Amino acid sequence: MKSLFKNDALQFLSFSVGITLLIYAVEAAKGLIVVRTVYLTFFDVLDIIVAVSIFIGLFQVWVKPATIVKWLGKGSGLKGFILVCTFPILMGGSLFTIFPLLKTLREKGARVGAVASFITAWGGKAPLLPLETRFLGWPFALLRLCLVVLFAFLMGILMDWVGEKSGETNGMRK
Amino acid sequence: MRAGLIYLLIAFGLLSVSYLKDKQKTKEALKATFKILYTIMPVLIFVFVLMGLIQAYVSRETIAAILGKQTGVMGILYAELIGSVALFLPPAVFPFGGYLHDNGAAYGPIAGFIFTAILIGVTTLPLEFKLLGKRFTIARNIFTFVIAFFLALFMEVILG
Repeated sequence: MKSLFKNDALQFLSFSVGITLLIYAVEAAKGLIVVRTVYLTFFDVLDIIVAVSIFIGLFQVWVKPATIVKWLGKGSGLKGFILVCTFPILMGGSLFTIFPLLKTLREKGARVGAVASFITAWGGKAPLLPLETRFLGWPFALLRLCLVVLFAFLMGILMDWVGEKSGETNGMRK
Repeated sequence: MRAGLIYLLIAFGLLSVSYLKDKQKTKEALKATFKILYTIMPVLIFVFVLMGLIQAYVSRETIAAILGKQTGVMGILYAELIGSVALFLPPAVFPFGGYLHDNGAAYGPIAGFIFTAILIGVTTLPLEFKLLGKRFTIARNIFTFVIAFFLALFMEVILG
């Protein structure tokens, strides 16, 4: 499934065009509604998407994965735990891009809870705030962002608890 | 002024600072930016087509009946299930969520959808199994689904 996201820009595009044409052929009026929605939304988000992509691009270059791993350490101790529940909010990317980073974090001895907190906090998606506020408003976006930190804390505690219960404080490898 | 333009200005401001500090790194950053755009755009367009399809074939009433306010807890659960299997990249999640809201979905279900669409991926499960282990993956995905439910419910109460 990885390839579905990785490189198949053309696949997605041709699929999109194909569906639209098919609908247009069956029922022209509906086809026009689809085209209109795509057109309006596309130009509505274009500047935000470009800006967001620049933010993420800059972040990726100036904050290397190795640096992140070094900063977060083992994600243990209160300071490490707080960091692991907040810092990843700033990162871009999809799950595909962060799992390998987490494997490294894990191999450096991070607790399972810290890894789970990291994933959850990463779901905060601060780089996408411009998009989120555009479509859902500031109250929604800010509330969600605050809750993500709480979410990450809870996930860390729960996952460590499960890890300990299964007798692998630092393990749970397989 | 459009919010998007302000973000663009900030982005170019940051790019200039970055360029002054390190040309090579800025070049790399731009390369990364284009790669991101190249990855994101087709998926976004696909999601926009999906939005158009819903616009053309699904009535407001239907969306409201599944994800609207009066659906309460079930609406959030449906939305979470949709989010869990959705093949969306994160940037596509927000326009889609906003679109659902404009068409009668309540904030709680949308929050549930966003949480699971970003954090749970049926398509990423094999990779997570491989890199982080089976037990970790199963436990993480279940906990994520459950906690996301309560947080979405909380958001519905606060924003609804």
